Amino acid sequence: MAFISPWIIGFAVFTAIPIGLSFYYSFCDYSLTRPSRGPLWIGLDNYNQMIHDPVFWKSLGNTLYYAAMALPAGMLVSLGLALMLNANIRGQTIYRTIIFLPSLVPTIASAMIWLWMFNPTEGMFNFLLAKVHIPAPDWLGERLAMPSLAMMSVWSVGNTVVIYLAGLQDVPRELLEAAEIDGAGPIRRLFAVTLPVLTPVIFFNLIMAIIGTFSILTIPYIMTLGGPNKSTYFYTMFNYDEAFKYLHMGYAATLAWVQLALTLALTGIAFLSARKWVHYG
Amino acid sequence: MKIIKPAIFALLGIIAIIFLVVGSMQENFPAPPGFTVVEYWEKWNNPEAAQMGVIVDDFNKTVGREKKIFVHFLSVSDIDQKTLISISAGVPPDIAGTWDTQIAQYAALGAVQQLDDLAAAHGITEDYYLPVFWRGCSYNGHLYALVSTPGTVALLYNKQIYQQCGDALRAAGLDPDRAPRTLEEFDRYTEILNTRDADGLIQRAGYVPLQSWYIPQLSFWFGGRIFDPATGRLSLDSPETLHAYQWVQSYAKRLGPRALMDFKNGLGNFDSPENPFLSGKIAMDQQGPWMANYIAHLKPEFSEVKVPIDRQWELKDRRTNVVWGVAPFPSAVPGLTNVSYNSFDALMIPSGARHPKEAFEFMAFVNRQDEAEKLDALHCKNCQLRHVSKSFIENHPNPYISVFQDLAASPNAQCTPVCPIWPEVYQTLLDTAQAVSLEPIDPAVALRAAQTRMQGECDRFERLLEERRRLGLD
Repeated sequence: MAFISPWIIGFAVFTAIPIGLSFYYSFCDYSLTRPSRGPLWIGLDNYNQMIHDPVFWKSLGNTLYYAAMALPAGMLVSLGLALMLNANIRGQTIYRTIIFLPSLVPTIASAMIWLWMFNPTEGMFNFLLAKVHIPAPDWLGERLAMPSLAMMSVWSVGNTVVIYLAGLQDVPRELLEAAEIDGAGPIRRLFAVTLPVLTPVIFFNLIMAIIGTFSILTIPYIMTLGGPNKSTYFYTMFNYDEAFKYLHMGYAATLAWVQLALTLALTGIAFLSARKWVHYG
Repeated sequence: MKIIKPAIFALLGIIAIIFLVVGSMQENFPAPPGFTVVEYWEKWNNPEAAQMGVIVDDFNKTVGREKKIFVHFLSVSDIDQKTLISISAGVPPDIAGTWDTQIAQYAALGAVQQLDDLAAAHGITEDYYLPVFWRGCSYNGHLYALVSTPGTVALLYNKQIYQQCGDALRAAGLDPDRAPRTLEEFDRYTEILNTRDADGLIQRAGYVPLQSWYIPQLSFWFGGRIFDPATGRLSLDSPETLHAYQWVQSYAKRLGPRALMDFKNGLGNFDSPENPFLSGKIAMDQQGPWMANYIAHLKPEFSEVKVPIDRQWELKDRRTNVVWGVAPFPSAVPGLTNVSYNSFDALMIPSGARHPKEAFEFMAFVNRQDEAEKLDALHCKNCQLRHVSKSFIENHPNPYISVFQDLAASPNAQCTPVCPIWPEVYQTLLDTAQAVSLEPIDPAVALRAAQTRMQGECDRFERLLEERRRLGLD
């Protein structure tokens, strides 16, 4: 007990108690400036306010839209890259390093680089498109900003690729050889052996991706500030603004709990579906 | 081998303890013994922070020494959040240097102290300040802040581009040797100053409303008000604000929403030589007097037409040495002249500050005419005081400073609306401007929605504040 007490105290003080308090504050009007005067209990007022707040629905819709693009794109690209990097080819280590490298670039630095690449007049993408006479899109304009951010998210899938690669090492060689002897081609072996064995890893990455996409904040904050016309205003940005810009700590606590509930619901659905497609052992 | 590992850990532990002990013994500022130390947090980084440092040094060497007060100046990033957290923790600084946009919000939330008595004791009264800044520092009839540096907004125009388009301007009956005086004239100038390439992409814009920092305050130039503190009513859908947003939308319609956004997204950062005004991408902007400093640092050739920038000249000659000019931003209402928006950097004493009296000594010092003029000139800003010296105007780094000073003194000078939820209202007005520029939305519908939502927020804020007062939680 004495050995573990520093962790227990740290967990209680910095995690458990704040979580409990934030749940209580979600039913209160609470200001950082008057903590000694105590929060004002207002019941479900914050929840009622949230339901009638168009910005809540806009930010939630944006987040779901982003998740619908970034989540499958990230999963497919990272799995595809891992499968390719698992092949026994020359320079395998170099390719692996190249794929992993973007994950090491600080978020702010990568956001700045992408901002320049997306620049409609001086950016690399539109420069190259102009060379082949393709009309240059406004990558961060109202219609394309969200797909552009989703595309950008794929750039830093290195961490997920590494997890997939580790999973691929566990695919039993004898099963692959047996399938090959039975006449299965590479595609058949992939779908009949490799992917089923890999499903626990895919499931793990799916859960992490759900949590990750629902808490995206830094990149859009740097690149678009939620614009143009609120088209990239994510739920976490809304939550952050309410807490620290508008000083509505109680309302922000409500939003945080709803975010947790939504994330839990989605991961719950993933867990329920896992019984049908995830194979352990 | 077994002994090496513990020895390394022990050594590292000893080094850490030495660092801790030595570090805690070290005074990181030279506060003389027996002096009251006033903690002053300021949002500025260099060079503004260094310039404020000059004023702090002046204080510590004179009034501070005499009254045994030492101001410890600290440049703090994200100052608004850190100040709030420090208030919450009960260890706020004695002075927080934030923005005017937060005064009403902080005052309503009880985050800052009333300064009426302290100000009166120091002879800082309504008569001492320009009315617009006094209004901006007050909430519910009480003073909550003093100005550190103000910034009045005017029209900044590129005289070089005016001359390049001289023939076209003259052909349209306009004068390339002066700035537009009415909004109707302003629109005609803009149309002529716009240029496009063969593909229809905007190469240069006369003016882009969406690029302006002051879109949420645009209603002022159309004769409107945004918030009435007496009734607590916002007027985001007033006829004046509607007119302003129809004007914003007219620019998007004329330039094309897509072309406008392509152009806007391709513009460089403000604090770089790629600044849209400095790079000649836009010919006119709404800016404060500080632009003279940016031009001097980022594009000195804009201010060296005849002689090097640092040459001492008569004021009238100095204006001929720059390719840019300053004039009041024209109003849409006939007869409504010298309209301006006046923002400022604010000094406040947070609730729970330990040395409010001593803190105010410094705030009063910053607002002493000689020190205020000194800091304002260093920051290249106009002055918050009713009376300024002749030398302030004549030697100011911005040769057009008198234009800004006159605008701030005008009866049509406006400050940030003293609304306790201004940060939300500001963001909503900004979003609405973007929405009407990018989508074929009726500005009346968009503004009505903004009004309904923000008035609801405002009423809720007041209702909860009232409830707190009733329960003694305020």
